[in-house]
Amino acid sequence: MSIKIVNLKVNGVERAFMARPETTLLLALREQLGLTGAKRGCAQGACGSCTVLLDGVPVVSCLVPAVTIDGTDIGTVEGLADGRELSDVQQAFLDGFATQCGFCTPGMIMSAEALLSRNPDPTTAEVNEAISGNVCRCTGYEPIVSAILDAARRRRLGTRVDATAGEEVTR
Amino acid sequence: MLTEVHVPEDVSAAVRLVASGATALGGGTSLMPRLNDYASPPTELVSLRRTGLAGVRRAGSTVTIGAATTLSQVEHDARLDVLNPVVRSIASVPVRNLATVGGNLFARQPYGDLAVAFVALNAVATLVDENGTSEMPVEDLVAADRRSVLVTAVAFELPGPGTFKYVKAARRRYNSASVVTVAATITESDRIVTGARVALGGVGARVIRAHAVEDALVGGQLTDSTVQAAGQAGLSELSPADDAYASAWYRTRVFPVHLRRALLGR
Repeated sequence: MSIKIVNLKVNGVERAFMARPETTLLLALREQLGLTGAKRGCAQGACGSCTVLLDGVPVVSCLVPAVTIDGTDIGTVEGLADGRELSDVQQAFLDGFATQCGFCTPGMIMSAEALLSRNPDPTTAEVNEAISGNVCRCTGYEPIVSAILDAARRRRLGTRVDATAGEEVTR
Repeated sequence: MLTEVHVPEDVSAAVRLVASGATALGGGTSLMPRLNDYASPPTELVSLRRTGLAGVRRAGSTVTIGAATTLSQVEHDARLDVLNPVVRSIASVPVRNLATVGGNLFARQPYGDLAVAFVALNAVATLVDENGTSEMPVEDLVAADRRSVLVTAVAFELPGPGTFKYVKAARRRYNSASVVTVAATITESDRIVTGARVALGGVGARVIRAHAVEDALVGGQLTDSTVQAAGQAGLSELSPADDAYASAWYRTRVFPVHLRRALLGR
């Protein structure tokens, strides 16, 4: 068994860590890089709670051996907020009460981010397909879908809702 | 557990490792769930991520898809519109961004819907082992376990407009294994069926080439009565299993319905 050094750009920052063969991207993020946003749910690729962006596309990080993705670019939920200002998707989830227990939320948000970067004006059906790999066992899908559509609308309009003032502010 | 994960930079290195007993790793969406439990037998993997096997080529009506091409790349490639409904019926977006075309040929039923489509399309796989390169119809490839060979590409002739039919019945619209998958290439002349290749998933341990269905279709018209007769003829070819998705009884019962939906669109 060999241990290899893996270099990743995580949320724009170069990171390096040592990986055993069985170290998955999820395990590395959580245990070695201290990024616990992505969750270990099923470890089977079925629940989507570990969804992160790998070179810009959402993947289930529990199924990716870390040594196979040396040199790639990783985006996690921790990289979305700008200081204390949440991203539009995060803010829409918060405003729309789309979190419930919160376990699926980081994965949902990363799937939503990937959808909106590719398709700024998705239909409800397209949102459903985009989050079909993210399971919410609180069964809160309707507020989640609404929040993603809301985030898309905010992004198209170039506005955000100020969380404290509760009114729309043009960026 | 995983004892080693190799990441070779070229195909020949990957072939040597596979020949020495390592297992080829595409996107990991079939293998990794079994290896993530820390209780699996010691396993050495060969990742194909850096071997340059991803990509799509089209020459005339022949399309060649590299084995490490992801299902998402197929989904978003306009030259592969015919496969779009197939790949979108498989798993979910974050899985399709990992899962590969080559890997799908090794997924066991009730997974591996792309392999079902490839059998209906009479696709041919390119194989490489230590003795060199060879070709094998996907139909033959998926009929048995293949341990010491590497698939590098899958090629097929693009079917004529409207001749490829595909229906997957599952518990949910997205992200669910097959209850019954029907893929077919049907050619007609003066409304008479002149050629039929019908492949089934979800109703056996492996992809089934439904010869009895094809025989019942060729020479007749695609009508309710001929398709119903073909469905009845096809029952003898099914060997479904009970699993968490559906019972064998249910799969058998609904197979003729989904054959009709695939062939007649209703």
